[in-house]
Amino acid sequence: MKQPLRLNAEDLSKMPRASVDTRFDGVAVHYEGVWLTEVLKKAGVPSGVELRGKWLTGYLLMEAEDGYQVIFTLADLDPMFGGNPVLLADAANGKALSGAEGPFRLVAPRDRRGARSVRMLKKIEIVLLRK
Amino acid sequence: MSRTIHLLCGATCRTGLRKFALLLAAAAALCAQDFDWRLRPRFAPPSVPADNPMSAEKVELGRRLFYDSRLSGNGTQSCATCHRQELAFTDGLAHAVGSTGQLHPRSSMSLVNIAYAPALTWADPNLSDLAPQALAPMFGTDPVELGLKGMEQTLLARLRKEPIYQSLFPRVFPQSADPFTVENVTKALAAFERSIISTRSPYDRYRYDGVEDAISAAAKRGEKLFFSGEKAGCFQCHGGWNFSGPVRFAGGPAVEAEFHNTGLRAFYKAPNNGIERHTGRPSDNGRFKAPTLRNIVLTAPYMHDGSILTLEGVLDHYASGGKAIPNKSPAMRSHKLTPQQRADLIEFLKTLTDVELLRDPRWSDPWKAQR
Repeated sequence: MKQPLRLNAEDLSKMPRASVDTRFDGVAVHYEGVWLTEVLKKAGVPSGVELRGKWLTGYLLMEAEDGYQVIFTLADLDPMFGGNPVLLADAANGKALSGAEGPFRLVAPRDRRGARSVRMLKKIEIVLLRK
Repeated sequence: MSRTIHLLCGATCRTGLRKFALLLAAAAALCAQDFDWRLRPRFAPPSVPADNPMSAEKVELGRRLFYDSRLSGNGTQSCATCHRQELAFTDGLAHAVGSTGQLHPRSSMSLVNIAYAPALTWADPNLSDLAPQALAPMFGTDPVELGLKGMEQTLLARLRKEPIYQSLFPRVFPQSADPFTVENVTKALAAFERSIISTRSPYDRYRYDGVEDAISAAAKRGEKLFFSGEKAGCFQCHGGWNFSGPVRFAGGPAVEAEFHNTGLRAFYKAPNNGIERHTGRPSDNGRFKAPTLRNIVLTAPYMHDGSILTLEGVLDHYASGGKAIPNKSPAMRSHKLTPQQRADLIEFLKTLTDVELLRDPRWSDPWKAQR
């Protein structure tokens, strides 16, 4: 992908929608958004049997509004490898995410700790270690 | 509820005995939930010990006891002396003062949402059940708080004389031949304390009800600073919906209490040496519980020893990064906030005040009307 893919709330609303229910700290939250794998597909990143070679050295560098960063490898997310379901969420309990939660955040329900469920997500950078 | 029981048994029961044990546990859970917590939608109730299920009458008995000065040796104090409803169940003092005038080494803690706390006090990792905890202020001598040491029978005799207790104790503890016991007093107190739940602040309306104008633009900016690990980073210790770190709730996972050294002192001397006092480990010197920040504008002075008078002073301490000592929490990093950011952060903290809590009759002094 040469050109950055810019997605706003409207773009996300037109993509295949998904949801995740969490119960962190005993508070039930119904997050809605789009699976990261769908975002990657839209960005032209290969998946499944096509995810090979240099793509297996790839990761997503997630960056929040305040500069906070975490990574997910492409293989970790792909259903034929790690299959880690990560939601790019734009709404919770039927309302758009706001303030310290939004407008976009990640929800990684399989992670036992919340540190990669980045709030105030601003940028996803695809990095390939092997060129 | 019956669905929960069915799922539990279907998933795990292999023998009749185990099934029976699970049914008993489920029955206890049912009893525990025979109480209207009046929780915010989508919030789980707190976990309740199987041997002390909640009931409205038990909470009422606990409330009576909580506000009863017969629970101090010399009749001058009750639990409510140091845990005042109008101050979010703190006392406004740097150091709590016991019934005989002795100063407590630490500041009185808020009881708000204590039912969800994996640790109850500033620095005791072994205290996680409210009923036995009540023994410390009642009978403790280091320091003397309510000053009841050696007066167990005197206390129970006083309570037996009260017509309201003559009616309440047998109804709340019908299985006891003599319901007037110290253990039952502590269980009723625990049930009352467990019922004190605060989730009706403007911030709750903003965050959980989606009411956008429930808090100001400044408070919204402050919220972002609070929850940013790259900026103020307050949430690293005061995280979660209770702004106190991980919480325990009914059906939730086991949660370990967290204690932090914030570099307030170069060395924390006993008896204010944090959980080192209980573990004996030097690496635990100065590690204290991060108290809830709910209602924080009402609970000054701040820190375990009440040594900081204002929220501005607290921000100064955290911005400084604390003293350079080995035990200090890695979350303590010096940082700079602009005057605007400091003001925004304080605006955010102000939105955590639940004014309903301060006047809710469920938690007010029941004896007042009779006096």
